[in-house]
Amino acid sequence: MTNPEDFKTRLEIAKSKIKKQVLSENEKRGSFMGSAFKLGTELVAAVGVGTIIGFILDSWFGTKPWLIIIFFFLGAAAGMLNVVKTANRMQKED
Amino acid sequence: MASNPMQQFSVHKIGPEIKIAGIDLSFTNASLFMVISVALISLFLFLGTKEKKIIPDKIQLIAEMLYNFIAKMISDTAGSKAKPYFPFIFSLFIFVLLCNMVGMLPYAFTVTSHIIVTLTMALFIFIAVTIIGFFKHGFKYLNIFIPSGVPAVLLPLITIIEIISYLSRPVSLSVRLFANMMAGHTMLKVFGGFVISLGILGGWLPLSFSVALTGLEILVAFLQAYVFAILTCIYLNDALNLHH
Repeated sequence: MTNPEDFKTRLEIAKSKIKKQVLSENEKRGSFMGSAFKLGTELVAAVGVGTIIGFILDSWFGTKPWLIIIFFFLGAAAGMLNVVKTANRMQKED
Repeated sequence: MASNPMQQFSVHKIGPEIKIAGIDLSFTNASLFMVISVALISLFLFLGTKEKKIIPDKIQLIAEMLYNFIAKMISDTAGSKAKPYFPFIFSLFIFVLLCNMVGMLPYAFTVTSHIIVTLTMALFIFIAVTIIGFFKHGFKYLNIFIPSGVPAVLLPLITIIEIISYLSRPVSLSVRLFANMMAGHTMLKVFGGFVISLGILGGWLPLSFSVALTGLEILVAFLQAYVFAILTCIYLNDALNLHH
């Protein structure tokens, strides 16, 4: 038979452990916002760069709307590639 | 201080106008706060390294911790080959950190909330890393645009996408720092304006928000300096150790 006192102390210890975990998860939420923002900028930057390249090439070759459209989508693809790369790196860090 | 929350970002000249070869090189409030940041860094590191005690005092301890922090970050992300670039990354980190932190003081100007400042730093890093890559590996460096295991049909498309992804690095690096700093400071100003306009009856709620936001902003100021430095390390790692 285990005595009730022993059980009580063990329960207290277990409870305090859970509390600690919840606290650290709350702290993590702030850095989650940071990483979400990080992924967002990666995506947007690549789309922007792709579109600008398309615009420049268009005015070089005089193919007005076509290259900008193509490079917009290529930029979006590059943005997703960036996001996947960043997410992979973040996962490796954890 | 007017009610316009964007007025805090305006750059104005201090002292006489200096023009060299048609380029405006006048001393502005932005330059003033950069000088203040650099002066604070120099003072701190001078005091921290003046007496090399075996048992360090407080300021020496902070300086040593900072050194270890950056040294560990570089060796973790970019390996031992990146050791020669320690001074550059250390200066970069501490400059961005101090600019962000000095900007948190009331009436101070936040240098890093201007895209021209962050983009200049990011472009310098981008060009330097590209030169280092070509210098170390020659034309083999172009292999980073060709991922392994891609079918030959898709290769041209993937290469273009990789090149766009590579070119977007300085943009995302600079936009992240600039947007975080500008958004945070604008938000602080807006909530500060609410405190005034709601008066003594309703002003307490935005005031408590401002206090919480100030804490968050200090966290963001540190985090963004860290992210800026660690991404530089990662880009350096790509240039030093070719994976593909």
